[in-house]
Amino acid sequence: MTSTAAPLLEVERLTFRYRRATEPAIRDLSLTLAAGEVLLVAGPSGCGKSTLIRAINGLIPHAYPGELSGSVRIDGRATTDLKLRDIGRTVGTVLQDPAKQIVGATVEAELAFGPENLGVAREEIRARIDRVVGRAGIQELVGRDTAALSGGERQLVATAGTLMMEPRLYVVDEPLANLDPATAERLLLLLRELADRGDAVLIVEHRVEEALDLRPDRVLYLDEGRERYHGPLDGFLRIADPDAVKLPFEVVLERVRAGARTAGDRRPAADLERPVDRSEPARLEFRGVRAGYGGTDVLRGVDARLERRETVAVLGPNGSGKTTLFRTAMHLLPVTAGDVLVDGTSIAGRGVADLATVFGYVFQSPSQMLFARTVREELVFGPRNLGRDPKTFDAIVEDALRRTALDGVEGILERPPLTLSFGQQKRLALAIALALEPPTLILDEPSAGQDHRTSSGFMREVLAVPGLESLYLVTHDVDLALTHADRILLFRDGEVVADGPPTAVIEDEARWIACNLRPTSLLRANVRWRVANGRFLSAEALAQRIVASDRGRAHAQEGRS
Amino acid sequence: MATMQMDRSDRSRLWEVTSRTIVYAAIGAALYGVLGLFSFLLPGTQNVTIRPAFAIVTFFGYAFGPIVGLFAGFVGNAIIDQLQGSGFLTYWNWSLANGLAGLVAGLAPLYLAAYMAGNISRRAIGGAIAGGVAAIIGFLFVFSDIWVGGSSPQTVLTGSYVPVVIADLIAAVILTPVLVYAWEPMKDQLGR
Amino acid sequence: MNIAPRFLGRGSWLSRRDPRVLVIVVVFFIFATIQVWDARLVFLLLVLAFAWYRSAAIPFSAVRRNWIFALSFVTILVLLNSVLTGERVPGAEHRYFNIPLLGTPVSAESLSYAASQWMRYIAMVAIGFPVAFCVAPADFGVTFARLGIPEKFAFGVDLTFRFLPSLAADYQQTIDAQRVRGYDPTGGKGGPVFRLKRMIPILTPLTVNAIAGAEDTIDAMDLRGFGTGKRTWLRHLRFDRTDGLIIAGFGALLVAVTVAGYVTTSSRIWVPQFLIDLASR
Ligand SMILES: Nc1ncnc2c1ncn2[C@@H]1O[C@H](COP(=O)(O)OP(=O)(O)OP(=O)(O)O)[C@@H](O)[C@H]1O
Ligand SMILES: Nc1ncnc2c1ncn2[C@@H]1O[C@H](COP(=O)(O)OP(=O)(O)OP(=O)(O)O)[C@@H](O)[C@H]1O
Ligand SMILES: [Mg+2]
Ligand SMILES: [Mg+2]
Repeated sequence: MTSTAAPLLEVERLTFRYRRATEPAIRDLSLTLAAGEVLLVAGPSGCGKSTLIRAINGLIPHAYPGELSGSVRIDGRATTDLKLRDIGRTVGTVLQDPAKQIVGATVEAELAFGPENLGVAREEIRARIDRVVGRAGIQELVGRDTAALSGGERQLVATAGTLMMEPRLYVVDEPLANLDPATAERLLLLLRELADRGDAVLIVEHRVEEALDLRPDRVLYLDEGRERYHGPLDGFLRIADPDAVKLPFEVVLERVRAGARTAGDRRPAADLERPVDRSEPARLEFRGVRAGYGGTDVLRGVDARLERRETVAVLGPNGSGKTTLFRTAMHLLPVTAGDVLVDGTSIAGRGVADLATVFGYVFQSPSQMLFARTVREELVFGPRNLGRDPKTFDAIVEDALRRTALDGVEGILERPPLTLSFGQQKRLALAIALALEPPTLILDEPSAGQDHRTSSGFMREVLAVPGLESLYLVTHDVDLALTHADRILLFRDGEVVADGPPTAVIEDEARWIACNLRPTSLLRANVRWRVANGRFLSAEALAQRIVASDRGRAHAQEGRS
Repeated sequence: MATMQMDRSDRSRLWEVTSRTIVYAAIGAALYGVLGLFSFLLPGTQNVTIRPAFAIVTFFGYAFGPIVGLFAGFVGNAIIDQLQGSGFLTYWNWSLANGLAGLVAGLAPLYLAAYMAGNISRRAIGGAIAGGVAAIIGFLFVFSDIWVGGSSPQTVLTGSYVPVVIADLIAAVILTPVLVYAWEPMKDQLGR
Repeated sequence: MNIAPRFLGRGSWLSRRDPRVLVIVVVFFIFATIQVWDARLVFLLLVLAFAWYRSAAIPFSAVRRNWIFALSFVTILVLLNSVLTGERVPGAEHRYFNIPLLGTPVSAESLSYAASQWMRYIAMVAIGFPVAFCVAPADFGVTFARLGIPEKFAFGVDLTFRFLPSLAADYQQTIDAQRVRGYDPTGGKGGPVFRLKRMIPILTPLTVNAIAGAEDTIDAMDLRGFGTGKRTWLRHLRFDRTDGLIIAGFGALLVAVTVAGYVTTSSRIWVPQFLIDLASR
């Protein structure tokens, strides 16, 4: 057999075009991966990362028809000559969305699924489950229904389901999206362990900062289906575009020092200094609020004030009740005790639609509400429900599209909303909320599911909305929260465990970590330099300030000497 | 270097069962179950309820084939019964009637080929026709109640068949095309 | 929103049976009952059904609503049938009166028929309840597979149960998202067409998103070799002695009833004497 000499994975001049597409999704890619190696694949949305994964695990060409040239060899044998079932024994895949990858109703059923399909004997499956559960550290999840798992637990179970196939090459597609930082770290450790044991790992991730925990041997950076960089990590950090992927702060600083131009922080500075007037009634106030589902309280006595003019970020672990908090504020969920006040009066008598004119609520997943045949129809649904004058609809639509920078998309009014890209759908959801002209926006997970560039672009659009008084964010993105918020509400188990300006809230690092958050490099840097008196700056802005003050100091020293 | 050309847009694979078939079938059944359960809140005629969700069965059949339609209708209805407590199989003949409706909608390429080859509005009309035909033919199976429950043909006709066909036919004719309109533009961006 | 199957009979004698037994019993029993019309025999079947139901130890408080639903459903059906059809017994007729307007006769025979029909339905419902509440939800697929349903479809049933809770959650979120846009799922007045159209903002996103999301599920199944050969089911089902006896018993019942249908009057309506007396007064 020659297979012992061949690397585990060999991709040679691979090009693939989907059947219905006009352009290839990936072009001329080559790479090899040997046992024990870790390859990080990064790149903006739609650059072909998932397509590359499909070509490696054999879905291309066995399940996705199209035009393929070049070759993929596993253990020296071309995937075109192997059956999908056999590739599955060597290549284990964790897909982008664990909630969709899980097919079993219980954790045990999910773990057993692969070996069951391959006809592995029952006793062997049991033994494997025992081994895998131990290795993935999910003992406490055995016996649970998969529907009742949190997002992070689901990701671990999906990964464990792949471990059950006992592959030697793991391909993992954006595992960190939607995970709270602590769970993300746990997953990366597991993958690192696999590599140390001699398996190969190919991970797709644009949260590069976090993915560095995996200590990748090499990085492949893709753009528009082509290789832009392929080589060791430090080389990548030197050339990567901090606008497109999230890099550790030290790298950004280095780059700014070296004089590289970054897109910089385009956040309007005027927004930073909003006066908070505590004498006027709060926009939203929770007084001893308890609420929950089916008899169990999720919110367990929440007291909080969210002012009329401020940006508040709510942080906390998966399942801690962040979304539930704002569902009670919108009267989508009744409170079982306490009271919710909007502009000083209880919402007890107010309807959801009425509150929608105060709060523009943008849900995490935009496609969940898109139903109309055209974008225009979609935008007038709200105003029509509220009985607004149909004569004003054209103006409302035009205005909402302009404020979300969607007016530049060709033929936007007649487009079926669901055919828009994810980023555009997200903007459309914002436009829908803005069509009712609310003074306050509530954004649930504004950055999830988007690459770094799209999500920072989205936040820029939000902040540029004229007439917006306040912004309330729910997020797992620590940097996003710290750099945008005037105040942080830290949530855990349905209670507010901390409430204050970013600098105050992060002081207690133990508490921070207990909320499944982690000190990011940007957070640490902001604490260390404290250049902006109590405010957090984005990586680019902070780096520029540091460089500027370094230069200033250098000048001063020169002057003195 | 091998260049592979593969195209599997072959329409004659009506009866193929792949993992795609099973997943769509299960989603159809679960959707029918979820939406069907909730629409029980809107009671209609005597023993039949308005079930807007019936359009799920005809749409899944029309869009994904007879097997998907059959499964979605049969299992979906059985699940509604199951969750309501009558058990998966107690009203098996009604579940089968729902399944047959899905199957008939899925056979549309055999009797609506002209429509399904047209543009999107023609395909939407095709969906409405297939949905209507499916309700009329599929529910003929409820006449098995004559044998199962000892009802007279007259009772089944006026008490079950006519009301259920009217309610479900309206649902299918109105909502199936709506779903076709929503789904078609997305189809090209997904799928294999 | 809890729409997962409820395993209320957990730990009962019936729940310790091989789940296939529950399904086979339902099938045998329904096909036996269908052939019987003599109210005395139907009553015995009803007793048997309730004995079976009792062995599932389903707490009544948890299923009160299900029973109310089933009872009213069956009662309405039987009443409707009586009102529309009247007596269906050939031969002598002992009429009490005719229903106004419709003119359907109400007689000793039609009452007997209705009573029999009602008991038959209730017996079938009672025997079916344990399938709803006494089979572990995770056992459905393997039960059907081992009863001879093709494995892919049997797994499809498992998969359906897997999708139920997540779709119910999506349903809730879609309703929320639309309510925030002023949509009112219950408000407004109108005929059936209006009410159907009001479903569109819920039905459309829910369906289209579910289908779009299926892509990953399909990939995940293909990648783990689904449907490429004979599969093992982790859950091992085996009939024990009791199971065998139960199946034999219900099988014997089915055979006996079928034979009795030819050689006795079990498949005909029995009219109690007191009902006949009532008519002649
Ligand atoms: N099934 C398909 N049929 C046709 N085109 C497709 C299909 N899947 C993906 N594409 C297209 O191929 C290109 C690459 O997509 P791919 O999913 O590989 O990107 P990605 O890098 O994984 O993006 P993301 O970060 O958003 O997951 C995109 O332009 C996409 O629209
Ligand atoms: N509709 C519902 N029915 C029952 N339980 C629910 C429902 N929605 C949420 N829960 C439960 O309430 C708890 C809090 O959920 P919530 O969505 O508020 O968390 P979260 O903090 O927003 O989490 P994440 O960061 O994962 O979005 C969780 O345990 C969740 O399982
Ligand atoms: Mg991808
Ligand atoms: Mg949330």
